[in-house]
Amino acid sequence: MTTPTTPVRRTDRSRAVPDAPDRGAPGGFAGATASEWTKLWSVRAPWLCLLAGLAITGVFTYYYASIARINEHPVQPVGNAAASSAVLVQFAVVVLATVAVTSEYSTGSVRASLLSVPQRHRVQAAKALVAAVVAFVAGTTFAVVGTAVAWVAFDGRASFGAGPTLLQVLAVGLYQALVAVLTVGVAFAARHPAGTLSILVTLLWALPSVLLGLGGPTLADVNDHLPHGAGDHFMRLGAEAPYGPATAVLIVAAWAATAHLIGLYVLRRRDA
Amino acid sequence: MITVRGLTKRYGDTLAVDELTFDVRAGRVTGFLGPNGAGKSTTMRMILGLDHPSRGRALIAGRPYADLRRPLCSVGAMLDARAVHPARSGRTHLVAQARANGIPVRRVDEVLEKVGLTKAARRPAGTYSLGMSGRLGVAGALLGDPPVLVLDEPVNGLDPDGVRWIRRLVRDQAAEGRTVFLSSHLMSEMQLTADHLVVIGRGRLLSDTSMTEFLAAASSASARAVVPDPEERATLVRRLMTADGVSVETSASGELTVEGRTAAEIGDLAHHCRVRLHQLSDVRVSLEQAYMDLTARSVEYTTGGSSTDTTAAGAAPNEGGRQ
Repeated sequence: MTTPTTPVRRTDRSRAVPDAPDRGAPGGFAGATASEWTKLWSVRAPWLCLLAGLAITGVFTYYYASIARINEHPVQPVGNAAASSAVLVQFAVVVLATVAVTSEYSTGSVRASLLSVPQRHRVQAAKALVAAVVAFVAGTTFAVVGTAVAWVAFDGRASFGAGPTLLQVLAVGLYQALVAVLTVGVAFAARHPAGTLSILVTLLWALPSVLLGLGGPTLADVNDHLPHGAGDHFMRLGAEAPYGPATAVLIVAAWAATAHLIGLYVLRRRDA
Repeated sequence: MITVRGLTKRYGDTLAVDELTFDVRAGRVTGFLGPNGAGKSTTMRMILGLDHPSRGRALIAGRPYADLRRPLCSVGAMLDARAVHPARSGRTHLVAQARANGIPVRRVDEVLEKVGLTKAARRPAGTYSLGMSGRLGVAGALLGDPPVLVLDEPVNGLDPDGVRWIRRLVRDQAAEGRTVFLSSHLMSEMQLTADHLVVIGRGRLLSDTSMTEFLAAASSASARAVVPDPEERATLVRRLMTADGVSVETSASGELTVEGRTAAEIGDLAHHCRVRLHQLSDVRVSLEQAYMDLTARSVEYTTGGSSTDTTAAGAAPNEGGRQ
């Protein structure tokens, strides 16, 4: 097959398998990604997740800023409201990415997916990429909206700088994108929504709450190495951090990469 | 062409597929028969790269499925027709697969038209009847205009029209030189559709032969005769029974079923002893009978499940150990 647009209706009826390692041809990773994109938006779940994320962002940042104003907290960068809202908003991304994977298993359509893209690493990579892009765009959009809402609610108790705010908005987007990759990995490993969500709620919310609730430097140190603990350090400005933002990004990325590899291991090993 | 060599699938202690070796050739319809649980679907899933073989391999045109770059243009498969996201429209389901293989979207509309789903194309697949789901599954298999088709129970849930339609479609595809591998538990349908048969039981190959040979091997000479006069009937039966290997059954209505003699032989004999016949015909063995004869020795789930080992000396000794 040398032509990039394959003659799907072939005129010659010789029935040799018309297939050669043609990486440049349509299909491949680009095709797999297009396929995942089509699948994602063809059902209602992602829309609902994004709507929920937007609503949570609005409510969270409004209260965050209002409380800061009422309690007369020290002036802080306005982007901190949106950065803080990620603790809840991340679950909109988690549910979106979870459902994108587990619905394939619950409906059996994963077989159709693997028949059209039998290279399993490619299926997972395409899903992770699509989820990450959506999470990045959604995360930054939420952050912009959240910052605007917070600015009004802070009513003067926050500082605004174009540079830092932009950085914070991008940081939230990056964090959400990494959470999406993490989720896709866990979902491919667990295959069921309940299992996936339990793991992620524990990792991203319950465990940090317990660690910080119990207090103490050791537990805080552990929390600093969990995804949201580390994410918080590169999203929020002005708080004390045990390491720089680049390290924080790497920690979250390492979690995402580990989950991706575990998911890939299960996906490759197990029968579909 | 599909090549299966020593294909084996083991789940714990159970051998689901045991050293299967056969070829599915182009230009004919190869039927895949076996009792429930014989390993047909597992075999098909291994051919399609969905399940990993414990041993052996299955190749399509010399390559494992996972090595195909644009697999839908090489192999069209239909496994479980219901395995579609119920909220996704049939069309989008196909568009997603088309995109993954660089197939133009207009081809999706073509195959939807071909299977008669154009009207329902944009409805959620969850609202489809079983027959419509089946048609969507066939549309998916035809999407890449592949030279190889693998269809697992394609006529399941189809109405008689749909069954005829599948039969014609499958015959046409084979006539165009494609490889068609088709499983079905509907024997009469298989008899009309397939040219070649691969029969398995308990995961093992029982037969790999043409339909004609399969039927011929199973049908010993036998015939049916109606003798109106009771005395003449008794005479005929007596004369028939003098030979070895002949058995005669007489029905209440006086119809004789003769095993071991053809209609021609009975006719000659009747003429010879001046016996009047009202009816005389060879008994044709149907695929169902031939199949039953063959698998009777290896049916996994006979009554009571005590039939652990009526099959063969080499049968797996661990049957029933698990589960």
